[in-house]
Amino acid sequence: MGSSNNPFSKQRNSEHIKETLVKLTFIVFTYLIIFAALGIFGKIIYEGAPVLWQKGWSFFTKKPQTLFVNQVEKGEGIEIPAQNFDGLLANNPDADKWLTNVTEFEKTTEFIKFDLLSGSRIGSGYLGELESLNADVYVLYTERDTDAAVGFQLQAEKKISMQQSDYVALTKADHKLLPAETPERTVNLSDFELTIAAGEYPIGKDAHDALVPTELVFQMRQTFADDEPDKINLTLIPHEQTITVSADIYYAAFDEEERGTLPVKSEQEVPVSRTFHDFTLAAGSYITKPEALSILGKYGIQHQHDPLKGSIVLNKNITGLIVPKDFWGILTQANPSLKTANQSTVTADTAYIRFDISKDTEILLDTEDRESIASANEATGKFVTTSEQTHSYSGGGVIGPIIGTGLLVIICMLVALFTGIAASIFLNEYARAGGFVKTIRLAMLNLAGVPSIVFGLFGLGLFVILAPCVTSTPKTSSAMMVPLVKLGSKPELRVCEQQHIYICEKSNLSSSELTTIATANGSKLVYDGWIWLSLQGWGTSILAGGFTLAMMVLPVIITSCEESLSAVPMGFREASLALGASKWQSIRTAVLPYAFPGILTASVLGITRVAGETAPIMFTAAVAEKSELPWEGLNSTGFDKFLDFLQSSAQALPYHIYTVAGRIPQSEYTQPMQYGSVLVFMLIVMSFAAISIWLRARVRNKIKW
Amino acid sequence: MNQQDSANIDPTATLSGQAVTAAPTEAPDAPLRQDPAHTEHLHAKSITENALEGKTMIKIEDLSFSYDKGKTNTLQNISLDIPEKQVTAFIGPSGCGKSTLIRCLNRMNDLVETSCITSGNIKIMGQDIHAKEVSAIELRKQVGMVFQKYNPFPKSIYDNVAYGLRIQGIKKKSVLDEAVERSLKNAALWDEVKDRLKDSALGLSGGQQQRLCIARTIAVRPKVILMDEPCSALDPIATAKVEELMLELRKDFTIVIVTHSMQQASRISDRTAFFYLGELIEYGSTTHIFTNPTAKQTEDYISGRFG
Repeated sequence: MGSSNNPFSKQRNSEHIKETLVKLTFIVFTYLIIFAALGIFGKIIYEGAPVLWQKGWSFFTKKPQTLFVNQVEKGEGIEIPAQNFDGLLANNPDADKWLTNVTEFEKTTEFIKFDLLSGSRIGSGYLGELESLNADVYVLYTERDTDAAVGFQLQAEKKISMQQSDYVALTKADHKLLPAETPERTVNLSDFELTIAAGEYPIGKDAHDALVPTELVFQMRQTFADDEPDKINLTLIPHEQTITVSADIYYAAFDEEERGTLPVKSEQEVPVSRTFHDFTLAAGSYITKPEALSILGKYGIQHQHDPLKGSIVLNKNITGLIVPKDFWGILTQANPSLKTANQSTVTADTAYIRFDISKDTEILLDTEDRESIASANEATGKFVTTSEQTHSYSGGGVIGPIIGTGLLVIICMLVALFTGIAASIFLNEYARAGGFVKTIRLAMLNLAGVPSIVFGLFGLGLFVILAPCVTSTPKTSSAMMVPLVKLGSKPELRVCEQQHIYICEKSNLSSSELTTIATANGSKLVYDGWIWLSLQGWGTSILAGGFTLAMMVLPVIITSCEESLSAVPMGFREASLALGASKWQSIRTAVLPYAFPGILTASVLGITRVAGETAPIMFTAAVAEKSELPWEGLNSTGFDKFLDFLQSSAQALPYHIYTVAGRIPQSEYTQPMQYGSVLVFMLIVMSFAAISIWLRARVRNKIKW
Repeated sequence: MNQQDSANIDPTATLSGQAVTAAPTEAPDAPLRQDPAHTEHLHAKSITENALEGKTMIKIEDLSFSYDKGKTNTLQNISLDIPEKQVTAFIGPSGCGKSTLIRCLNRMNDLVETSCITSGNIKIMGQDIHAKEVSAIELRKQVGMVFQKYNPFPKSIYDNVAYGLRIQGIKKKSVLDEAVERSLKNAALWDEVKDRLKDSALGLSGGQQQRLCIARTIAVRPKVILMDEPCSALDPIATAKVEELMLELRKDFTIVIVTHSMQQASRISDRTAFFYLGELIEYGSTTHIFTNPTAKQTEDYISGRFG
């Protein structure tokens, strides 16, 4: 067949080749994207899935913790609580190589149950311990007693060489405590008189810690983070100073041979002679005055009193306290003026596991498991670690970040949906077309393009630092304070101590006088009987974070809500109005129900976007490490508790990933946490996307026109 | 909006407007009102019957209306009286303003922000509806509207009919049930849907949907029903049913209908108004308009020479 009689014969020309080339390019790039995505997801799933499989459910239910890598010697009869044994297995997939003779047994622990009577004097540390052992106990005290006798215990005899001045003070406070004869000796030492020039200097954490108790006035440009011990930060010496320091401080903070110490302009050795008293305290229990204990505390006597502030006076009976028997001993010996009643012994059986370690090996443990295994074998000394290495955030699971992200998303969506739907209804239904609305729309389009870090800074400025609060204890750093009513209730002594509240007796001071006095007294909050409207911000809190995220997602929400509103046929509005509905009635009954699927999809997509943001919450809500969930450790009650909860900070999943992947050194020990967290996060985001698709399909099928 | 004070700003225009108008109330109708005994013999559905009796329901006086803040007038100096419990048809080519006028009657044009009445006023039951103390919501409860494209809500049939009562705050089920049944019966839809009141209204056929919209409108017991080309989206059979319904409804309601179909106007209306380019050309009894039009434009239009 000749081409001549086919009017539609194919023509081979350059147009055809161009067409093919274009098509090829599109195909190549499309598949490139797919393969890249598959590659990335594949890697995450390949590395992350085994972590989830191995750690199991505990990865979701545990808080992030430090991971301990212990070199453990072989040993027999090591004991561990059964629940921690599961953690041990989850962290050590190779356990079957060294774990032998695993037997389960019940360990009986004895507890003392008792009532604590009003009028008891108790040291603050001991009260704290009591509260941590009895979860629902929180004592609001109003009084401290600086004269109450305090006790301490020595497990072994203690040799002390005490400086002359302390010795004099100690014997004055309690002359019966020390042995009658204490030999004196005089030692010649040298102090250093140093002149430090004004300026900025880089110093390390050790130097910083040594400088804190001295008279040197200095200001840090940045604080030292716990996870970077070797970091060097700048410090500012505002003017030239001359100070005298002892030799140990000199070597820690001014020795020029070491890195991160402060250079000195001139130095001079000042010979001093000091007199010491040497004596030995025998093992046993002692009862003494608080002043004496505060001096002994400097020489390494362990106690949990606060001798300077005095013992806490209980003004209420506390019933039904339960403590382990050994703590009961410590408690009664250390607090001689404790009044107790209704003591009884109760026993509880705990499931324990006993096992042998067949060879020297490396064991990974997170903080909880590490503590419980150490305390369980403290007495027998069978669990011997030769070296220990720690990796921050790499142990435990991700419950804290998941909860934090969830709360942030909930608060954010509540704020964003309420504001966003209201704004879109106004723009779409009520606003008259004109310059004003055009400006709003333009502003919104621009807002959608603002980098998220800018939203973070905005939130920091507005919500963290400047947002209004109604409180009876405003911050001294408040930008503006307006007195409302004189109805404040005086905070309890304990709250004052914890939060550094300055109680001002006069109630007629202006806000600036009040903050000046409080600041001069070193307090951060002030109370004078008034309830203030204070522009002091909400602090780094889930509330501030939620609002910041809401600001960020608002343009997206408003735009898509408006779209779904305008997709509702005009006929519905007309029909409804023609039946005698008011404008709002017609929107509520004939527009919103049919815009609902679109709004729903928009909000679910908004959730996925918000859940993934790191930058806006870095300054406003998220913390790298927090051992408590946001609602834990709040001591207020009722509505105050809810407010405190909103003002607490939280961990968040994206920020947690940033921390584990970016801030801590990478190693085989940190990798599981990294991949595990990323996989969990990816699953969450993907499930949100799936929910959004499902919801849209479902609701669309239901509502059609 | 209320422009009644400006009615007299252009007396010449007003006069000329009235000159064109086929004097709505008295003069030309007089010859048609023949011997009442004679009319008794006419067919029950004859449109000339009672055509000019009954009191005036809607009185439009010298109405000019603009969609763009008075720059151009879409309606110019319209004056006409619509009698109670009759069907009045508005006819005319596209863009002649008949829909605009009907939407003025229940202030649906309030939805267009730039719209305003530049002169004249509309009185329904003797009350100027653009007066300050008139609530558009209350007005629309008395002056219902059925739209060109049937627009039932994507809800059940029952909910559609009960909608108007529910937004008035009526929640009692017995009242709603009774009203739904009565309205559906009035709309001649009851027998077709009584077994599936809970089904979606969107499952009905087009004609049924439009009748549902009518039922929805009469459920709130308005005095006037405005119908804006109610049959334009329906097939002939459905149209016939709706027309039949309208003839039933005229016993209880004053009906104003906009239509493109002259046959429809001649079949169902008692009075007909012909509009052209925003002006009322001729208004009179339907028989009169279709058999003996006064204006040349009317004659051309009804005989199909333009439009």
